[in-house]
Amino acid sequence: MLAIDARDVVKTFRSGVFRRRATAALSGVSLAVPRGAIFGVLGPNGAGKTTLLSILATLLIPDGGQVTVLGHDVRREATLIRRRLNMASGNASFLWNQRPAEILAFYGRLYGLSGRALRRRVDDLLELCELTAYRRVAYNALSTGFKQRLALAKSLVNDPELLFLDEPTLGLDPDVAARLRGRIADLRRERGMTIVLTTHYMREAEQLCDEIAFIKGGRVLARGTAGELKRQIRIGEVIAFRLDPPAAPWLGEAAGVLRCVTHDGRIECTVDEAEKRLPELLRRLHDEGAVVRDVQVREPELEEVFVELAR
Amino acid sequence: MSWRAEAVAVWAFALRNLQMASRNVFLIFEILFWPVLGVLMIGLMTSFLRLTPESTAFLLIGQITMSTVHVCQLDVAYSVLYDVWSKSIKHGFLAPIGVHHLTLGSWLVGMLRGLVVFALAAALGRWTFGFHPLQPGVLALATFLAGCFLTAWVVSVSVCALIMLLGARAETAAWACVNFILVLAGIYYPIDVLPGPVAAVAMAIPLTYFLDAYRAHFGFPSSFTAPVATGFALSAAYAALSHWALWAAVRHARRSGLLLKMSE
Repeated sequence: MLAIDARDVVKTFRSGVFRRRATAALSGVSLAVPRGAIFGVLGPNGAGKTTLLSILATLLIPDGGQVTVLGHDVRREATLIRRRLNMASGNASFLWNQRPAEILAFYGRLYGLSGRALRRRVDDLLELCELTAYRRVAYNALSTGFKQRLALAKSLVNDPELLFLDEPTLGLDPDVAARLRGRIADLRRERGMTIVLTTHYMREAEQLCDEIAFIKGGRVLARGTAGELKRQIRIGEVIAFRLDPPAAPWLGEAAGVLRCVTHDGRIECTVDEAEKRLPELLRRLHDEGAVVRDVQVREPELEEVFVELAR
Repeated sequence: MSWRAEAVAVWAFALRNLQMASRNVFLIFEILFWPVLGVLMIGLMTSFLRLTPESTAFLLIGQITMSTVHVCQLDVAYSVLYDVWSKSIKHGFLAPIGVHHLTLGSWLVGMLRGLVVFALAAALGRWTFGFHPLQPGVLALATFLAGCFLTAWVVSVSVCALIMLLGARAETAAWACVNFILVLAGIYYPIDVLPGPVAAVAMAIPLTYFLDAYRAHFGFPSSFTAPVATGFALSAAYAALSHWALWAAVRHARRSGLLLKMSE
């Protein structure tokens, strides 16, 4: 069963009064997100990620294509969809002098919650996002991390079946980001929520997402699990050496070596075929008099796939 | 949406405006400083010109109306402007609400604040310049106030539509539009003194009729046959039209991306 079924979605933004300028944000994006999945949308700045999420969340009306969210058409049945989804973004903002409890209560009321049910929901969300101690602090006085947690809490106020997270850990300290990622994983596990997220952090996508779509220039360039993406892109495998002496400048030009970088005292060579190149490189290192202290062969990181696709 | 959920969504906007109003010192100015200053200025001018009590009442009604309508309409405009200023407008429109929840909830607070302004300004007018707001009776006063609030609602919903259509650069409309309407509606003069085409425009404004009906109780014969009924009929038509305009503006903002732009 699909939570999202988007086919050939097109969106163009027009600006200017006298000189009309048209910017194509999405040029035929198709996506299918199964219910209960965590789906990642990756891509460079201006790729169309936020536009896509906004269309799926009914904040934007697409110019063309078919979009069905939770079984309803986004153009004709937007109100029905809105009851069942919510969204949080990394640069979320709320009224400056409202307090977290008031902000959550306000949005809770917009979803029809009132009385004891509303109070209980607000208390639960404040506790879930570790905001209880800050319930009476004005929004403006909260740190970035707490603002982000509040945005996540707000996005859960209607207990949505479908949650959109637009760069949820943007600008957070690593420990706070890790905790937030834990919360996101819990949401899927405990509530069966479908989550669609955009992020610039590849490790986050790799850690959280069942499936990833890579968008660039308003088109989906590749999609699949992190492993599938790595194989699809065929950017080779990585052989990491620890050498003594620690440098071998010729490695970068050796046959089959696509590129070489030195990282943390290790030389990481991306090669076309590790099985074939490893013996050749080891033989030459031996001939050159280098001592190989350690050698590892691994798949490329998702970040390397991202760099390759974004190129 | 059930009736209960409808009421709760309306209450959400009312409560938020109340919370914001209670924490903003400038909003105290809006309901205290300017209305009091206005009544004092107009009242002192009538003393200097040695106007009759009827003429004094005529001008003070205009001044008090101006303050009341102004404050009431600002609350509705604020309900959108708060979200524009704080860049949080997309969150509201992500929820399953209609534009009427927003306009009704904030209008409730606008009426409350408008009533406070009217009571303060009228009490000051009574105390210092002998103006009797209840002279026409409670029903006539209630009708007049209802007319003021309806006009404020219609103007402010139109202002919200403009903001949703043009973005934050239309925010000056929140302060300018109402003054323009008030000038046309004849706050300090009967609309007969306006040039022909302008007077015709004035006759399309509901407040013109409510002012006319209220002032008739202070010795100024009505220029219309059924001013109150006309005022209410026009208000109903404009309320429907302005809400349609706001709905269309929000839809346009969803199509053009302005809704997102105002949240970035």
